[in-house]
Amino acid sequence: MTKYTANPLLWVLFLVLAAAVLVVVRQRKAAAALRQEISGLREHYTDLEHHYTQSVASAQEQADEATKTVLKSAMRTLQGLAAEQQLILSRLQDKYGESVILQDLLEVDHTNSQFGRRAQSIAVLCGGWLGRHRDVASVYDVVRSAQGRIRHYRRVEILSQVDFGVSSRVVEPVALALAELLDNATSYSSPDTVVEINIRTVPKGVVIVVDDAGVGMNDEERARAQRLLTTERVSGVGGLGNPPQFGLAVIGVLSERFGFEVSVDSASPYGGVRSVLLLPHELLTGMPERRTQPPAASAPVAERVPAPAPAPLARPAAQPAALPAAAAPAPAVESYGSTEDGLPIRRRKRPMAIVPPTESAPYGAPAAPAASATRSGEQTAAILGAFQRGTRSGRAIQRDDANQTTSTRGASSEGHEFS
Amino acid sequence: MRAGGEDFEFEPADLVRAYVITKGRELPDEQQLSLITLVTAAPQDGRRPARLTPEEQRLLDICSAGYLSVAEVAGHTRLPLGVVRIVLAALAEGGHLLTRPPVPRARNADKDLLEEVLNGLHRKFG
Repeated sequence: MTKYTANPLLWVLFLVLAAAVLVVVRQRKAAAALRQEISGLREHYTDLEHHYTQSVASAQEQADEATKTVLKSAMRTLQGLAAEQQLILSRLQDKYGESVILQDLLEVDHTNSQFGRRAQSIAVLCGGWLGRHRDVASVYDVVRSAQGRIRHYRRVEILSQVDFGVSSRVVEPVALALAELLDNATSYSSPDTVVEINIRTVPKGVVIVVDDAGVGMNDEERARAQRLLTTERVSGVGGLGNPPQFGLAVIGVLSERFGFEVSVDSASPYGGVRSVLLLPHELLTGMPERRTQPPAASAPVAERVPAPAPAPLARPAAQPAALPAAAAPAPAVESYGSTEDGLPIRRRKRPMAIVPPTESAPYGAPAAPAASATRSGEQTAAILGAFQRGTRSGRAIQRDDANQTTSTRGASSEGHEFS
Repeated sequence: MRAGGEDFEFEPADLVRAYVITKGRELPDEQQLSLITLVTAAPQDGRRPARLTPEEQRLLDICSAGYLSVAEVAGHTRLPLGVVRIVLAALAEGGHLLTRPPVPRARNADKDLLEEVLNGLHRKFG
């Protein structure tokens, strides 16, 4: 053993070994430290990444929010202007109803309605103002309102009606959603085809079925449409694609917010798309009453129609269902409320016609000859009286005319003298 | 307009616009349907066709008791006169309405002719 210990080589070997061990231990330690550092860094990195995505998302959200706010108020202004213009147009149409300008006024009105609808759609996507509050309206009128908001409204045909009203809260949203459906239907079908609307009652409420004769949608498009309508609601105006497609996104938002259902997943019998808008019972009411001119005009006319039997038959089914109380021949009611201008509405006591029905009585053909054969003295007196009144009023008018002409003639001659 | 509230609202315009009621038809020409043309509902056997719009139904109701002038019919509705004329023309085209040209205004008898007759009578009998 001692001979080994004396060997310096062994000592050297020992030293080298010790050094190696030391180095290895050191390296190990360094590696461990490095590893820790790496994992720390990695953690930090993921942390950063997370924060980054978060802040990007929030920045985007903020930007979206800002865009939405700006668009919302801008659209609100536009909607207000469109509404104002619509009122002006209504007034003009009343004022110039007799002239040929009317035709052009109606055109302008149509364009204005489309413009208003566009603004409304964008406003809806931005969570904004939907428009003016409406009165309860019949389903039929809401459909026609929607019809008026699209470009090709002439191609839309309403084939059936129901006796239901739409509650005031959803008149505007339903009209807007339906307008978007009709817009799609008319834009994706050829210009010489008709878009049909059927309104039907179903156990769950009322459905409005829109059939177009276009090319329809493939499965992918249909799936996308259904997603837009049900789950994947668009918020804001981002993600509408380019060119932006508002229609389904708007309908999706509206149907969620107001509680009606829209589906576009079936094919129409004409090969195009069949879209169905379901109005549940909560959104329906009875038929609205006519605002002005309640039955004042129509009911008494029907009462006075000479033929007793066919008259009730001839009364249209469209007489508001919710009206029976008012429509019933109330005894001796002189006034039916007042018009918009506050003037009392009088109940007509005789038919409106200036020429009484004779041989071609509209609904009373069989009754008329019999009545004339057995004319009572009282009737004869009434007829003669009417004749006399008539001639007298005729003469009175003529005299007035004569006075006027002479006076104007006098005036004009005076003018000539002065000039 | 309502003051105060967030919703500034105009009084709402009509829900159904006039051009939808006319279905985009053109104004009828003056000869076909003037203000003083007389209209009345055509005699119907039994029920009226169901596919008339409420406005058409109402106009038929108004005209159902005998001849009325177009101007008078329009007076009983809230619609602009031209719109009423368009709808009435459409109804007439569809055979739901009969029109009758206005009664021509009575003219004064020709004075010369009367004088001639008088002279003739004088010659013959006087």
